[in-house]
Amino acid sequence: MLPIAVDAMGGDRAPSEILAGALEAAALGIPVLLVGPEGLEGTGDLPLMHASEVIEMDDDPAQSVRKKRDSTLVRAAEAVRDGKASAMISAGNTGATMASALLRMGRISGVARPAIATPVPVPGGTPTVLLDAGANADVQADWLVQFAIMGSVYSTKRYGVDNPRVGLLSIGEEPGKGDALRKETYDLLKACPHVNFIGNVEGRDLMTKDVDVVVTDGFTGNVALKTLEGALKTVIGELFTAFAQPEYKDAAKELLPALMPLYDTFDPDSVGGAILLGVDGVCIISHGSSSARAMVNGIKVAKEMVDADMVGAIRAAIATSLPS
Amino acid sequence: MAADRNAILNTVRTHLAEILEMEVASIDEGNTFADDLGADSIALIELVDSLEQEFSKSIPDFAFDDDDLAELRTVADAVDYIVRAHG
Repeated sequence: MLPIAVDAMGGDRAPSEILAGALEAAALGIPVLLVGPEGLEGTGDLPLMHASEVIEMDDDPAQSVRKKRDSTLVRAAEAVRDGKASAMISAGNTGATMASALLRMGRISGVARPAIATPVPVPGGTPTVLLDAGANADVQADWLVQFAIMGSVYSTKRYGVDNPRVGLLSIGEEPGKGDALRKETYDLLKACPHVNFIGNVEGRDLMTKDVDVVVTDGFTGNVALKTLEGALKTVIGELFTAFAQPEYKDAAKELLPALMPLYDTFDPDSVGGAILLGVDGVCIISHGSSSARAMVNGIKVAKEMVDADMVGAIRAAIATSLPS
Repeated sequence: MAADRNAILNTVRTHLAEILEMEVASIDEGNTFADDLGADSIALIELVDSLEQEFSKSIPDFAFDDDDLAELRTVADAVDYIVRAHG
C-alpha cells in the first residue's frame, strides 16, 4: 500500500513524540511518509517529504492554508491528492487540518460539508461515533442527515456494527424536544430510508450501548466531547488521589487491576484519533497533545480505513442517498 | 479583449453553488457570502481556490491577494475583482 503521510510538526509534542510514533508504526509494517522540514532529526530510515513551514495551533485555519502553502499540513494533504500517500494524519491545528484536507483532497461528490467523527468510549461495548465534533459550528438539517449517513458507514467499517442505530443529540428523548434545527432534523431523519434512526438521545447516552452513532452540530458536539473528557479526567484524577492515601493502599492494590483496563478505554491516546468524513481521502485528526502511542494508534486507524475503502463506501452511500 | 462580466458572474455562481450545495438560480449578484448564503470561512477559501484555478486559464497567474479577501463580501465583489484582473 501507499504510505500514510504523517505531519511530523503537528501537535504540542511534535516532533519527538510524532516521530517516535511514526517509527513504531513503521516497525509494525505500516509504510509511513514523514512530512517535515529538511534536516529534521530523529527520522531514522523513514522517507521525509520536505515542507518548510508549520501551521501553528493558533493560526487561522482557512487563512493559514493559503498563506503557508509549503507547510507540513498542506503538503501532507497534497501527498494524498497526488497519489504519493494513501492517507494523512496530523495532531496539529484541527481547523487547518480540515481546511488542508478539504482544499487539497476535495469533497466527495454530493457531500455538503465534511464532519469530524470522534469515537466515544463505551465501557464493555463498541465506541459511539459522535459527529460533528467541531468542523461546522453552524449546520443545516439536511447536513445532519448526511452526517448520519457518513457516521453509519464509519461505524460499520471501523467497528463492524451492522445497521448502526443513529440518535440525534437533543435535550430530551421525545420527538418534540429541542430547538428548531433539532425538530426539523428529527423529521428528516425519521423519513430517511438510509439511516436506522432511533430518535433523540441525550448527552448521558453517549457512553452507553444504547446508540451507535450520535449526530449534532459541530459546536454542540465539541462542547459535549470536551465536557465528557473533562469530567472523566476529574473523576479519574480524584480516584487516583484517593488510592494514594495510606488508608486506601490495600484497597487500591485490589481495585487497580480491575480499573486499569477502564482507564485505558478512556485514555484519548488509545482511541486512534478522529476522522474527517466527507473529504476525498482518509484524514485522521489526532488530539493536540498526542503521544507516540496516540500516533501509532492513529496510523493504524488510517491504514484500516484505507484497507476498508472507507472513502469509496461513503461515496457510494452519499450517491445512493441523493435524489435521482 | 474586454471581460464578459455576465460570463464571469455565471462562472462564480456555478462554483459557489457547487461548494455550498445549492441551486445556481438561488444565488444573486447582490448576495453577501456570509449572511445571505451562509458561507463560512472555509467555504470562502474553497471558493477562492476554485476561482483561482478556473480563471488562471484565461488570466495568467491569476490569484486573489490575501490582503484583499476581507473586502470580498458579496458575489458582485468577487466578480468585479476578476473583471479588474482581466484588465
